Amino acid sequence: MPLLAESKVFIRPDGPDKVTGSGRYVADVTLTGMLTAKFLYAGISHARIVRLDVSAARQIPGVFAVLTHEDVPEHRFGSIADRTLFAKDVVRFEGEVVAAVAAVDADTAQRALAAVIVEYEPLPSVTDLEAAITDGSPLVHEGWADYEAADVERNGNVASFTSMTRGDVDAGLADADHVVSSRYVADASHAAPIEPRGVLAQWEGDRVTIWSSTQVPFQARDGVCETLDLPTNRVRIIVPHMGGGFGGKCGFHYEAHIAALAKTARRPVRLVFSREEEFLAPDRRREGMIVEITTGLNNDGTLTARRARVLLDNGAYSADSSFFPHMAAMHALGPYKIVFNDAAASEIYTNHQPSGSVRAPTAPQACWALESHTDELAAVLGMDPVAFRQLNCIDTGETGVAGQVYDEIGLQECIREAVSGIGYDQELDDSEAIGVAVGWWPSFPGASGAYVKIDNDGKGIITTGAQECGTGSVMTLPILAAAELGMEPEDFELVYQDTSAAPYDEGATGSQTILNNGRATVEAAQQIAVQLKNLAAEKLEASPEDIVLMDGQAHVAGSPDSSISIVKLAALAARGEMLLGKGSGTPADYPSAVGVACVGDQGLSGWAGPQFSCHAVKIRLDQETGVVRVLEVSTAHDSGVIINPTGARGQVEGGVMMGIGQALTEGTVYSEEGGQENPTFLDYKLQTMADAPPIKVHFAEIPTPGLGPHGSKPIAEAPNVATAAAISNAITKLIGRPVGQLPMTAERVWGTMAGQDEA
Amino acid sequence: MSFTIAQTLDEALAALTAGARPIAGGTDLVVGARQGKAPLPTSLVAIDRLNELALLESTDDGIRVGAGITHARLMNDPMILSDYTALADGAALVGSPSTRNLGTIGGNVMNASPAMDTGAPLMVLGAVVEIQSAQGSRVVELSELWTGPGQTTAAADELCVAIALPPRPAMSGSAYVRLEYRRAMEIAVVGAAASVTLAEDGTISTGSVALSAVAPTIIEVEGASALVAGKTPDDAAAVIGAAASDVAAPISDVRASDGYRRHTVGVMAARAMKAAARRASGEMIGVPVNRAIGVGATL
Repeated sequence: MPLLAESKVFIRPDGPDKVTGSGRYVADVTLTGMLTAKFLYAGISHARIVRLDVSAARQIPGVFAVLTHEDVPEHRFGSIADRTLFAKDVVRFEGEVVAAVAAVDADTAQRALAAVIVEYEPLPSVTDLEAAITDGSPLVHEGWADYEAADVERNGNVASFTSMTRGDVDAGLADADHVVSSRYVADASHAAPIEPRGVLAQWEGDRVTIWSSTQVPFQARDGVCETLDLPTNRVRIIVPHMGGGFGGKCGFHYEAHIAALAKTARRPVRLVFSREEEFLAPDRRREGMIVEITTGLNNDGTLTARRARVLLDNGAYSADSSFFPHMAAMHALGPYKIVFNDAAASEIYTNHQPSGSVRAPTAPQACWALESHTDELAAVLGMDPVAFRQLNCIDTGETGVAGQVYDEIGLQECIREAVSGIGYDQELDDSEAIGVAVGWWPSFPGASGAYVKIDNDGKGIITTGAQECGTGSVMTLPILAAAELGMEPEDFELVYQDTSAAPYDEGATGSQTILNNGRATVEAAQQIAVQLKNLAAEKLEASPEDIVLMDGQAHVAGSPDSSISIVKLAALAARGEMLLGKGSGTPADYPSAVGVACVGDQGLSGWAGPQFSCHAVKIRLDQETGVVRVLEVSTAHDSGVIINPTGARGQVEGGVMMGIGQALTEGTVYSEEGGQENPTFLDYKLQTMADAPPIKVHFAEIPTPGLGPHGSKPIAEAPNVATAAAISNAITKLIGRPVGQLPMTAERVWGTMAGQDEA
Repeated sequence: MSFTIAQTLDEALAALTAGARPIAGGTDLVVGARQGKAPLPTSLVAIDRLNELALLESTDDGIRVGAGITHARLMNDPMILSDYTALADGAALVGSPSTRNLGTIGGNVMNASPAMDTGAPLMVLGAVVEIQSAQGSRVVELSELWTGPGQTTAAADELCVAIALPPRPAMSGSAYVRLEYRRAMEIAVVGAAASVTLAEDGTISTGSVALSAVAPTIIEVEGASALVAGKTPDDAAAVIGAAASDVAAPISDVRASDGYRRHTVGVMAARAMKAAARRASGEMIGVPVNRAIGVGATL
């Protein structure tokens, strides 16, 4: 039985606030005496700072604080500790913060920035991934060997790497009937949340409260504590409504800068980014990538061996990117049965903006490369690409590329359903084609906690560290709690924005809310269920084991007439032992896997609860201009049991739209020096509602044991994996060969067609 | 910073003489200032409430479109839709609904962007611009008005008050198409407008073509009429496509390379020619052509 009746419409509690404009975001929060913060950015991709003088800026009336690296403790941070709050000695990308000011208003802050004297000695920019790993390349971090970082192997501009080898790939390739090699190059792209980030900090004594549009308030708090030498209980992060994140607001960003400004200024200080800053400054960008794949295949369509080499553009600093090589390696090998495989992936330091988690990091690009390559393989044999995938994709009980044996999985069902949903066998116009691709994405079990209480009127509050940037936690957590207690989701409100009130949670990252916070919320609700059953048993003169909680009532099993309402029980409890539950639970284990990596084992274990997907797209190509329009998308996902169908469908639709953007229009253009050429929504082109095609959504609801509540798996990132790949395969059907570059812009499609004509 | 709201045209012109800049919808001025293109002028005079600029009327010499007429009005006005359809095509493609509700034709013309969507339609429809200052008024051809990106021959104290369009001969049609990568919030990568008058036998009698975003200003394809006269619409489209690519002098930027722009402006010109001829023959093609018959991202 579904947790939420099919007919039930559960309106997301934060929806009306957001739609009517009454919701408050960081930029709407105003405190008495508040100052405006602005940053001085490097504005140059790689240079030595030869002079930095803020004394004139500090003299300007209305300027309350001007900070540089000299004014904060000297700490390096990041997944590889290579970054400081303010640039010191060297700037390594154009958006690096050199100084910060707090002033009475934006104009005064701007004047203060203009009064900062900074002189640079330009250094050669590292922007080409392949040149960066050759001997003699300039180094992005000359002094890397001296940074305090745990167990990091230092090797030129290679920030991190993963190697996964299983069997003798050379022999496998030598034995194959055919060997196909492909090279694909993806441009960087952006999370592009509609709300540019904001941070507001206010000190009271030695405690600071920070309002921040962060997806991960506990990580933000940890960053503040680490860089400003503060204990966790004196730093409180509060997250008002968020206008989207898509990974771009994961991590620790500017909370410490603003807290430091507010401390010096002795006033509240607020930072609100412009759209351009949102593009240029944060260490969250979907990395550019070069993917080379060689596959051996036999005439019967089976795969003998695969070798993949992936270079990822790490940018200037390692935000959270050290596990990306493992992700990229898995996506470059794919959910296929291959006898021997060997993947090596490296994050390369460059003087570009740092990369970081953007929805399904590394997956859309690497999947696009592998799945385009897969259609090339099928074409070599003259096989239908769908039949080729049905033959080679992993199924229940089979062994995948990491040596992992999969429990019951729905990949084959996903292929069947997505293909049938698009009408794969239909007659198509000459300008139309259907492309298909499969994808996968792991689940990330981790620590989380939740408190649930029911007050005297039978209404509940869930206090959690989960965030709501579109995760659906405001829907899913009430559904889960209500299901345990025989109540309605509407009976619960969420308190989810406050690190000092809620237990730890990883935040809106890694699609982990349902998995981890869901587990914690269920456990907390179960404690209250026990309390309610004990109370009811006493009142109904029955044994607690015989009490059933349903429809707002506690009744004796088999005797629906012998009942008492939960509201009454709550009123009783409020005068005695109160209804309080707390939950955390034990995260699921990660399976083991083959391979080595340079940092820890976060990314190197096998994939817990892998989610599978197949996307099929129908496109039309304007042959004269190369413009591609997506006419229809059919998706199928194995994300286990679906707890909240409305939210899950929304995730898929949003993921597909991001995928269409990545496929066709979203790409960052860099200058030779490494600066962004299109940091605006006019020239970094997101898809709009007017571009949205009809999107079919199918869920292969296979209960997954030992992972999320009720057999669920996550869903937020998985829909952002296969769309671009499917579009690539459709384009190839029309123009005869892959475009090979992401995004597959109209001009690139046209250029591929024109190049082919010449050949 | 001073901001005054003019109650009459004379008040507005006096303010301009005193150094103020005019603001109507503000969709270029304010957005540009926010993006840091140019600071907001320290003295502004609002002209959005002037009745003198708000008329769209039929005259003895065709029609007269007040400078304060919005894009939304143009794309829905029956007179524009039936006789000056290319202008409706262009207006309907501009920005978003809110841009079209606020942005005015006068502002669009005087902003002089080479990528503007109403410029090529106005040019092929033979529009002239009425410009007025406290000293008097004059009428300017579009080709004499625009001198470069954001540059016009109008003096700082002159205000565009109206655009005049000559009457349309029988058997005439016009269309504007542009290359776009998405269906909303888009700017022309390249664009082309065509206007034709058909002869009795369905061949083209006269025609004109103008191009967006392939030169420092909107440009007309010189000698277009001679190229297309006597030809069937399909033949005319092929000839005019080649001529458009020839005359284009585009730049390379993040939106497209010069080579791609040169190629696609020919495609757009040919499509505009065909659509204009179909409309001239009496066929109804919805506005904008981009949505109705499918161009670029809108197939």
